[in-house]
Amino acid sequence: MPHEQHARMSAQDQALQATTRRHFFQQCQVGLGSVALASLMNNGANVQAATPNANQAALKTTHFPAKAKRVIYLFMAGGPSQLDLFDFKPKLQELNGQVIPESYVANKRFAFIKKDAKLLGTKRKFSKQGQAGAEMSELLPHLHKVADDLCIVKSMATDVFNHGPAKLFANTGSPQFSGRPSFGSWLTYGIGSQAEDLPGFVVLQSGPRGPRGGSALWGSGFLPTSYQGVPFRSGAEPILNLNSPQGIDATRQRQFVSAVNDLNQLRLDAMGDPEIATRIAAYEMAYRMQSSAPELMDISGETKETLELYGVEAGKPSFANNCLLARRLIEKGVRFVQLYHTDWDHHGTPGTELGKSLDERCAETDRACAALVQDLKRRGLLEDTIVMWGGEFGRTPQGEARDLVGRDHHIEAFTMWFTGGGIKTGQTIGETDEIGYNTTVDRLHIHDLHATLLHLLGIDHLKLTYRFQGRDFRLTDVHGKVFQKLLA
Amino acid sequence: MMNGPRLLVVACCLLALSHNKLLLGEEAAKPVDYLTEIKPLLAQRCTSCHGAETQKSGYRLDSAKSLIQGGDTGEAIVPGKPDESFLMHAILGTNGATRMPPKDPRLTDAEVSLIKRWIEQGAKAPEGDLPPAPAEIKNRNHWSFQPVQRHPLPKVQRSDWGRHEIDAFVLARLEAEGLTPSSEADRVTLIRRLSLDLLGLPPSPAQVQAFVADPAPDAYERLVDQLLSSPHYGERMARQWLDLARYADSNGFTRDQPRLIWKYRNWVIEAFNQNMPFDQFTIEQMAGDMLPNATPDQKIATGFHRNTLFNEEGGTDPEQFRVESVVDRVSTTGSVFLGLTIGCAQCHDHKYDPVSQREFYQLFAFLNNADEPKLEVPTPEQLAAGSLAVREELRNKVKELEAEFEKQKPEFDAELDKWAMSLTVEQRNMLPIPVMNTLNLALSMRTPENTKALVNHFRALEFVRQKFPTLQQIADLQAKEPVFVTTLVMSEREKPRETHIHIRGDFLRHGIKVTPAVPAVLPAIPTEVQQPTRLDLARWLVTPQNPLTPRVTVNRLWLKFFGRGLVETENDFGLQGSPPTHPELLDWLAAEFVANGWNLKAIQRTIVLSATYRQSSKFRTDLAEMDPLNKLYGRQSRLRLDAELIRDVALAASGLLAPVVGGPSVYPPQPAGVFDFTQDKKPWVPATGNDRYRRGMYTYLWRSSPYPAMTVFDFPDANVACTRRTRSNTPLQSLTLANDQTFVEFAQGLARRVLLEVQGDDTARVSAAFRWCFGRDPSASELQRLLKMLEEQRAAFTTESAQKIAPPNLPSSITPTEAAAWTAVARVLINLDEFITRE
Repeated sequence: MPHEQHARMSAQDQALQATTRRHFFQQCQVGLGSVALASLMNNGANVQAATPNANQAALKTTHFPAKAKRVIYLFMAGGPSQLDLFDFKPKLQELNGQVIPESYVANKRFAFIKKDAKLLGTKRKFSKQGQAGAEMSELLPHLHKVADDLCIVKSMATDVFNHGPAKLFANTGSPQFSGRPSFGSWLTYGIGSQAEDLPGFVVLQSGPRGPRGGSALWGSGFLPTSYQGVPFRSGAEPILNLNSPQGIDATRQRQFVSAVNDLNQLRLDAMGDPEIATRIAAYEMAYRMQSSAPELMDISGETKETLELYGVEAGKPSFANNCLLARRLIEKGVRFVQLYHTDWDHHGTPGTELGKSLDERCAETDRACAALVQDLKRRGLLEDTIVMWGGEFGRTPQGEARDLVGRDHHIEAFTMWFTGGGIKTGQTIGETDEIGYNTTVDRLHIHDLHATLLHLLGIDHLKLTYRFQGRDFRLTDVHGKVFQKLLA
Repeated sequence: MMNGPRLLVVACCLLALSHNKLLLGEEAAKPVDYLTEIKPLLAQRCTSCHGAETQKSGYRLDSAKSLIQGGDTGEAIVPGKPDESFLMHAILGTNGATRMPPKDPRLTDAEVSLIKRWIEQGAKAPEGDLPPAPAEIKNRNHWSFQPVQRHPLPKVQRSDWGRHEIDAFVLARLEAEGLTPSSEADRVTLIRRLSLDLLGLPPSPAQVQAFVADPAPDAYERLVDQLLSSPHYGERMARQWLDLARYADSNGFTRDQPRLIWKYRNWVIEAFNQNMPFDQFTIEQMAGDMLPNATPDQKIATGFHRNTLFNEEGGTDPEQFRVESVVDRVSTTGSVFLGLTIGCAQCHDHKYDPVSQREFYQLFAFLNNADEPKLEVPTPEQLAAGSLAVREELRNKVKELEAEFEKQKPEFDAELDKWAMSLTVEQRNMLPIPVMNTLNLALSMRTPENTKALVNHFRALEFVRQKFPTLQQIADLQAKEPVFVTTLVMSEREKPRETHIHIRGDFLRHGIKVTPAVPAVLPAIPTEVQQPTRLDLARWLVTPQNPLTPRVTVNRLWLKFFGRGLVETENDFGLQGSPPTHPELLDWLAAEFVANGWNLKAIQRTIVLSATYRQSSKFRTDLAEMDPLNKLYGRQSRLRLDAELIRDVALAASGLLAPVVGGPSVYPPQPAGVFDFTQDKKPWVPATGNDRYRRGMYTYLWRSSPYPAMTVFDFPDANVACTRRTRSNTPLQSLTLANDQTFVEFAQGLARRVLLEVQGDDTARVSAAFRWCFGRDPSASELQRLLKMLEEQRAAFTTESAQKIAPPNLPSSITPTEAAAWTAVARVLINLDEFITRE
């Protein structure tokens, strides 16, 4: 592999870029989003306090041609039950109420249940959908319609069974809160963003609360903070401090930015530090974001048909609304959009059970998920956008001894679905054993998923590295294998 | 966990084995000779990784004794029982072991069968087959492991530049490259630089004026001494130390509940202000609780290692997260004091540095014996009032009442059940987390802690107390108890825990037992120490023989004053780290530091007195070509201020700063919507009065949702030790300075000052505001641009729009438009690059 295709840059490269940066900012009328003169930092051996800017790429070119250019990750926080949605097990129905055979649970640990927990069949009806006959439960009637556009993987596996660590693992490849960058940060670090006046990595949230784990889930870890996910809130001010202060209208804000930048230019002339040029550009971009972000959030220009397709109710924050925003964000060139929808943690207490609670979660998400796939497809965006759906883990074939029906956290087998750029759709991959406890065929571990997604985005997961504490870190740590069956 | 393919391999091997057994049936009885059959085989196939040179997983197969004894995973051979012998599992890849040798060619069936038979026959070998002497430790000669030495001063050509030794080392390097140093910065720049570096606060215009006008030859030295004796010096030093200590005010993970540990922060500030020697500073934080007659302060100091995270999520295994904390403590000790990435050896031997996995767990063993309690810290007033005795008395009375209440227990339990059954979902979800968690668990699944949380909650309910008056009496007594501030500390257990190697870092997979020891590549703990403890480790970190701690410490100080360390990888002095740019200078500083009794103020004084430090930070074209990264220090560096300092300089310029040192964390205003993305909404009532205007370092820090105006400027996540801040430059930063309500408030403060305190025309007022912000006078073009802005704004504001941004409560003689226009100008000033930069 030629050296220049590595993400790490030599000190000389960086220096060169630092000196050319001034030229760029003066000569080129471009937004930071497309400025590919990375002032990328290596935090380790060859550091220079060259400053990283939003959306700049570490890689000059991708390692191989990218099949996908961007990702929408529909994160179902809490861990949806694959056994009630995708993975139907006749044998589990048959053994309903019996204690799980010990061979399954020897040496296994669980969050809540004990080794003698009883197996729990599903109460949901399953059917085969689409030409490929994808198995889905009655809870997902809208998804049925796009069954052939999906690649369903029933053999997902992860490492940790508590929510916080597992969410962190799904996002960063490490279960510990130890400052690892999230997927979206790695991606924007690697290939930048095409968004001219929006952040490259945006996080949206719906459901009764934020996802467990908080900002670490979209943090940039040891990567520069400019690669962090930026949470977009619902309402009039999606980005913190986006709105000008009270009493400052657009004209006065423009006067403000001009004065700041004129004075910064004087300082630049006196000191010669290219950082000042970067700051001038940052103020210009911030000013543009002040109008571009509200424009993005304003869905009044969408057709009634589109709103109905998603199930968006104007002015009401919802997962559906966020799905529509996700489409609008990627249209603007945003690289990675992550939607959290919380409250899938169905243990079996009132409000967290596999009856009404699961009905509600599915009702909140099913239509919009299907709509997003349909909408992207008809706009030609699905060709180079990956859409993926899943939680931090799945749920056990055993039921939990609680007031109502529920299942515990399960890491050995769960289901996710994928569609879009470079994904081989119209197929279901992977199998689990007769009670759905273990994967038996085509196990897809989180590390391998990360490697595969990067591959689709044109990145060799072994080569996207960052030097920190004397070591070249990567998203997949020392693991990760590209999962060929997922690829078209 | 086994996956499909591996199972298949195992199955094949077993098949192959049994097949062989049939074939070789008659050979089974034939005795296998260790010396002629086993040892040569192992020497050929195994000892390149498991021999005298390298001992992967601590295992060597070059002698019968070590072969049987095993490595990190424990005993490798059970004579007579191949099925129970780890060695057999390793060569077959069974029982979760990685198959050995890891690459082709594997052992042949015949070879496997030979080893198996030898074990079956009792693994007999001559007694004297001991491991040959261990090889020299690899990479022992690496520069950072060598003793600190004082080198002779280099010869330099130029005699008119330089003030002391530091400058000689720097100048010699510059001259060797054909470069010259920059001239000294002007006095305004110097006092602002010193003040920001040493205190984290800008100088006032009066201080600037006094220094600029001071004709004495020692004006600079006196300024440095004055700054070093300021109480704000301790704050500045402390905040940098708190990065290393991963300090925060909450527990982290998903629940991220609040914690009280600000007393530790106070301790750090105080320790720096008193100029506590760094060796003592280290010992008290690592093991203050174990010092003879440990004082409360020395115990508070151990909060250093209590800043680890704590997972309160339901369904977690407490031991798992305790172990994770200890692992973090080992890694943190490594990066903070030794500048080594010891954490890399948690799962396997360090890939580059001479730290084995076994040595990682030997260090782990030092830190594995602490309980993690809260320490109550009564105020002096409480102590004087005998509060401890008062509480004792109250508690005795409560005990009596509790005994009485026991009789009513069945009745109480029945009430509790009745109540629990009656709750609706909504009511349940409103309960405190531990209570809700308990109710969500079946009876059989509840731990004693669960039950306690529930019972305590129930006892506090109004109707329960009415029903059981004894409970009301108890509560009344308890309400009278004096309350003490608490802080998290370490407390050594009498009986140490056993420490084992965790195979591949998995705390459930125990390898051999280990005892406390330091890595062999470093100087040993004195042999007279029989069973070394955490205190011995603490003392060892700062023995004069330890070459790493002083180097790492002075290097971090250098980083603060120049923006880059002499060793650029400030947290990695190992083989993968970068070598020092000025090795002799690094050693000179380290030697001075230790020789002066680990005196932090003295060594920093030396650094800032140097001509190297005092240079101008202006870019030079010759340097840009020859030394673009300024590794040779031909000029000073321009550095964007740290996150919390940006708040501090704005507070200072606005005149709003409340310079109170120490105390609990505070809640300055933050934008709405910050907690939309956390699991629980955090309490955040914006402070009024003084606490609204405290320095950034006192802002309450929730790990799951840190203060946005600080995170955006690269404030660390406080989950692991941060040895260096990054310095990014982004549009979100611009939005913060431009629009965040707190910064608008600072702009209003500055405008108010200008309007109320400065007499004279616009030029005089703009100049005064400029001096408050930058210490210097504006240039003609700067002045002109600001006056233009002022005129624009006077014309732009209507009374109505002006009232929205004008500072409140100004005298009526000042029109809202005038006040708003000045606020707009002030807002420009605090948004300038120079405002958030140390020149």
